[in-house]
Amino acid sequence: MDALLILFIFGLISLFLGIAKKQQLALITNVSGLTLAFLSLAYHGTYESPLKSYENALQFTGQELLLGMLCILFTGFILLFNHSKDVAQDQHYADLSSLKMFSLTGALCLIGFKDFFMFFIGLEILSIPVYVLVGSRKGVLVSAEASLKYFFMGAFSTAILLFGIALVFGATGSFDMETIGSVIQQNAFNGEVLLIPGVLLILASLLFKLGAFPFHFWTADVYQGSSFPVLAYMSTTVKIAAFIAAVKLIGSTFSSLGTAWELSLSIFIAISLFLGYISALRQTSLKRILAFSGISNTGIGLLSVLSGAEFGERNLILFLLSYGASSLILMVILQTTNSEDDEISGLKGLGYKNPLLGVSALVALLSLAGIPPFTGFFGKMLLIQDILLVHPMMAILAILSSAIGAFLYIRLILLLFNQEMDGVKINISPLSTTVLCTSILCLIGGWLILYI
Amino acid sequence: MELILLPLLAGFISFFIPKKWSKWSALLFGGLSLALVINHLISFDPKATMELFAPQKVTLGELTLTFKMALDGMGFVMLALSNLVFFLVALGNFNREEGSSPLFNGLMFLMQWGINGLFCSQDAVLFYMFWEFALIPIFLILYWFGAKDNQKNLLKFFVYTLFGSLFMLLSILAWASFSNSLGYDDLATASVPLKYSCWIFSGFLLAFAVKIPLFPFHTWQAPTYSTAPMAGTMLLSAIMLKMALFGMIKWMIPLNYNALETYQLPVIILGLIGILYGAFIAINETNIRKIFAYASLSHLGLIVAGIMLFTEESLKTSVLQMVNHSLIAVGLFLCADFLEKRFKTSDIQAMGGLIKQAPKFGFWFAVMVLVSLSVPLTAGFIGEFFLIKSLFFYDAWIGIAASLTLILGAVYMIRAFQTSAMGPSVLEESTDLTWNEWAVFGIIGVVTLYLGIQPNAVFNLIEPSIQTLLQVEGTTFNFF
Repeated sequence: MDALLILFIFGLISLFLGIAKKQQLALITNVSGLTLAFLSLAYHGTYESPLKSYENALQFTGQELLLGMLCILFTGFILLFNHSKDVAQDQHYADLSSLKMFSLTGALCLIGFKDFFMFFIGLEILSIPVYVLVGSRKGVLVSAEASLKYFFMGAFSTAILLFGIALVFGATGSFDMETIGSVIQQNAFNGEVLLIPGVLLILASLLFKLGAFPFHFWTADVYQGSSFPVLAYMSTTVKIAAFIAAVKLIGSTFSSLGTAWELSLSIFIAISLFLGYISALRQTSLKRILAFSGISNTGIGLLSVLSGAEFGERNLILFLLSYGASSLILMVILQTTNSEDDEISGLKGLGYKNPLLGVSALVALLSLAGIPPFTGFFGKMLLIQDILLVHPMMAILAILSSAIGAFLYIRLILLLFNQEMDGVKINISPLSTTVLCTSILCLIGGWLILYI
Repeated sequence: MELILLPLLAGFISFFIPKKWSKWSALLFGGLSLALVINHLISFDPKATMELFAPQKVTLGELTLTFKMALDGMGFVMLALSNLVFFLVALGNFNREEGSSPLFNGLMFLMQWGINGLFCSQDAVLFYMFWEFALIPIFLILYWFGAKDNQKNLLKFFVYTLFGSLFMLLSILAWASFSNSLGYDDLATASVPLKYSCWIFSGFLLAFAVKIPLFPFHTWQAPTYSTAPMAGTMLLSAIMLKMALFGMIKWMIPLNYNALETYQLPVIILGLIGILYGAFIAINETNIRKIFAYASLSHLGLIVAGIMLFTEESLKTSVLQMVNHSLIAVGLFLCADFLEKRFKTSDIQAMGGLIKQAPKFGFWFAVMVLVSLSVPLTAGFIGEFFLIKSLFFYDAWIGIAASLTLILGAVYMIRAFQTSAMGPSVLEESTDLTWNEWAVFGIIGVVTLYLGIQPNAVFNLIEPSIQTLLQVEGTTFNFF
């Protein structure tokens, strides 16, 4: 498939450019690669028939193409704002961006997979570069710790996933999603003893990737250890890919096995919704706040898996778009203010130091808090609407947790325009300005995506 | 359409107008929107509805939205009130620091856009969006222009109101499953089982009770009012609360009419508690802003009780009383600001004798106090008299308890006036009203007097739309 090949080849070129120490050229290469891949997906969007490749193991229809384009877009933004900073200090821009390109190919596999092989390959290609990226802050101890922690836990979750896949294969005799789905629907599988533990193991490993309760313990430490662009990558592309995998596997292939996973998933979601925000309340490090609030946001996103609604996936896309754009803005801000100890007091008076940063942070936080007319509101509203018809109690819990979340985010907003500050103006590079402005546009007009 | 778009445009333009011209432009935009609504009002036929905006229906997943905007008689009255209040605030701000800040004026007009949009919206999600949107500018106004140490209060204010609103959102979403779309007309014909309409009603009630505020949900009010900039307090008290009252009249009760019976008595009792509780605290309070805040709690308790009766008479007088309360709130908080500026404190014990140095102010303060006491010939008299009468017909004891508001109101208002304006002089000398403040008081005085003599000006406008609201469930009550 073109997009995968394009991304891989341009990533490879960028890797060699890194050896030749041509960082500027690497940026141009990667961005043009991303543009080409984006255009190739967009071009397929005009076709009626789905885009199939690798013996139908990968299939992209309208929504999957959209998701792929979203991932490419976010990765492009991350490469852009990362560039403005790193080149002077850090000589590894080209290597790190090629890793992101490789990981992105994995994300695309994960978005379009139709059988378990592609799913597993996608998940691994997505994850392995991220393990490396997390440890990319050389000489920083927490970064090494985070990388190691993430790698070990990730390896365990991979093993669990494989075990689950093996069990499901044993019960259904197929790796193909559609076949498995129809076998389960017709009750033609060999014994629940194999199937249900298999599904639960797969669910566990997906929850690990998403960072939902009870597999959330890595998030705070890993987020704290990684650099801002990597963190942005993890909360945009990785999240999107993992969410879509969860919706496709649990929400659609295994949906007729509802009784097996519904109760446990609801309990996990309910706890995630509150655990994240409540843990975040006492934190002073912004990265940790984002990590913990990410747990709760994951809980809200997982509602779409639970509801299994007809338009659940599309509503989820809207939610992920808003969450990704907000995280991106916050990461750009942290990168620009460049506070290594990322204390929330670093946000103090940001709006006076640079109005654009202040306004974009305001929009990002209001959108995260779910205040209309920003995209975050629409995303949350539609997800809650879907779940309300199936599990009213979960909708009420989601609303309550949103109120706690609003408390968290509004407290951060109150810091933005605090007048006690040192008064040093901050300048931002044109590339970061572009990223900020586009993200604000996403947060204001993102609901238009529903019409595509 | 221009009725809605003008404030939005004014908001964005105001951000970019140089500081020097900002107060003039605020006055211009405020005056323009007021003139526009008056122009429409003159030629408006109360029986008709004016459609502003009616796009295609939009389907988002399971939700069907209409995004329709239209104005009926009551919406028109509220729109005119809102434009009048914003004009008065701009006028009162003219010589103040905030008045010449482009940021303040821009946010003010954005808030006006949110509130005007809410009065026009004919779709539940649109209603909710404007409801929340109006919160952002006022939050930023309080944040940027309020007292330096008000962050805690602000957080409380924001989270409290958001918490209530989220349950309204849940109610709206639950509505969607019983109706073809979330447009007002479809919701009015949808049949919701009693059990669900009780839950839906309670979600709305929670949101409105926090915003109005009703008795157990009022704790954000006094601290927020006392640390807000004066214009912010005026906006909060004069027009922000009216969103909730309007929502009760137009959305909460008629569309969930079968749940009214369940909630009628409890909410009326909460309103009554608010009347008495607010009045007693106001009597003992010495902070002038808090006195007026609790006075507001007391007055609003009566209006809420009237709305919950849901008869034609009580609804008509409630709307009149809402208009009246908005104007009084602007006037009283302007007086409070005048006093605070002169005495450099908000403690009425430390004030006194200002009437000798500033006789014009003294006169208008007295007028505002009298208007607030609902003396005959003012709009308040008609409003409170008919509200208490309706309550009396509902239940004699409730009517008697509610009528205490007249006596208790006199106690705290006259006490506030007496301590701050009369008595021995504290200040050597003081400046008197400036022309713009004089104009604000003049407008308020004329309007309340006019509505006191000629309440039919409002009644005629709102009568057809209120009859429609009562007919939504095919029931009409007649007390005359």
